[in-house]
Amino acid sequence: MTEMDLTPRGPADPAASAPRAKRKWMPILVLALVLVAGGVIVTQFLTSAVDYYCNVDEIGVRDGCNSERRIRLQGTVDENSIEKVGNATVFTISFNGETIPVEYDGAPGGIFKECIPVVVHGVIEDGTLQGDRVEVRHSDEYVSVNDERITDAEAVGCSSA
Amino acid sequence: MTTIDKAPTVQSQRAGTGTRGTRILGTLTIVSMVWLIAFGLGFSPADRDQQEAVRIMYVHVPTIWIAYLAFVVTAVASGFYLFKKSLGWDRLAGASAEVGTVFVALTLIVGALWGRLTWGVFWQWDARLTTTALLFVTYVGYLAVRRLGGTHEQRARRSAVIGLLAVLLIPLVHWSVRLWRSLHQEATVLDPDGDIDMDGLMLFSLFVGVIAFTLFYVWLMLHRTRVMAMEDMMEDRGLDEALASRRREAAMPDSEEN
Repeated sequence: MTEMDLTPRGPADPAASAPRAKRKWMPILVLALVLVAGGVIVTQFLTSAVDYYCNVDEIGVRDGCNSERRIRLQGTVDENSIEKVGNATVFTISFNGETIPVEYDGAPGGIFKECIPVVVHGVIEDGTLQGDRVEVRHSDEYVSVNDERITDAEAVGCSSA
Repeated sequence: MTTIDKAPTVQSQRAGTGTRGTRILGTLTIVSMVWLIAFGLGFSPADRDQQEAVRIMYVHVPTIWIAYLAFVVTAVASGFYLFKKSLGWDRLAGASAEVGTVFVALTLIVGALWGRLTWGVFWQWDARLTTTALLFVTYVGYLAVRRLGGTHEQRARRSAVIGLLAVLLIPLVHWSVRLWRSLHQEATVLDPDGDIDMDGLMLFSLFVGVIAFTLFYVWLMLHRTRVMAMEDMMEDRGLDEALASRRREAAMPDSEEN
């Protein structure tokens, strides 16, 4: 009986082998990118995502909430506190009975308004938070724009600050 | 009389992954999507704070819930593969992970749009967004591992282990807003306190979204599982043909090679 020869052919056909090689390397390349992306995400998680902000009443009290360093501060925008001064927007935010004035160069985006929680990024200078970014924190409440509870809900939002 | 039999060709061209069941499921998916559009864009009211941006929720929330479901199905099917050693379970796990990964990508994209309108920024490295990005990247890795090569059994074994481990990220993603301080709001519908603070029509629209995307997920998964089965069969057939070809060559007399 003739012995079977299952060794590969001598001269490989480049046209036939090209797609096979591509298929082999592509997942390895994707995996390498996944590892890099995963490393970046975990680093960001450890440096930024854990305890994303300090509350206003934690300045100088809680670890990582020192007034000497750059800070992300969370509080509710006080009623009747928003003013436009030139290009800047000036307002105060409060949390748990503590209040701090904020000066932001520009107009905050999102759904910024009174009685809504915000996170302001910046540094504290002379007791004022000089913000360079304002992010609005939306609550877990979803109320119809026509709902008669609007007045009550807004009142609760400001009074709970 | 000579007859020309065209039937096999026509039959083979029409052969696909659809069945009566998937066609019914597809029709139901389209109907429910139309309902979702009607309720999401029409009947449901604007939000007091978010205004019209709230309508993004009807895609954002269902897609991440169905992605969770898809990854749980992947994990369960992976477990069944390890016990039963049936490649059908492996293909189910793979198909479900593919659909789930696409849905997480959709969640991240529409979430970024919602974030720009509501928070004022597309992206921020807060706990929820960061863990969701990690979930996405992990399942992209899972899908890459499935394509590393080897036999079907090797593929199934290594991806089953990853499928069982990766699902552990879901509780981390879901509870991230409670475990850490996050820009992202806490859960409204899945609130552990059981207090759903949402307008009735908004909640119903969200429910329609969940139904529509669940049907869409099942429809996609059934088709993808069948396509995967076909791919495996083609690979097997290719290998069989290659072996047969080599055997034929080996059996040939030497004179024919010159």
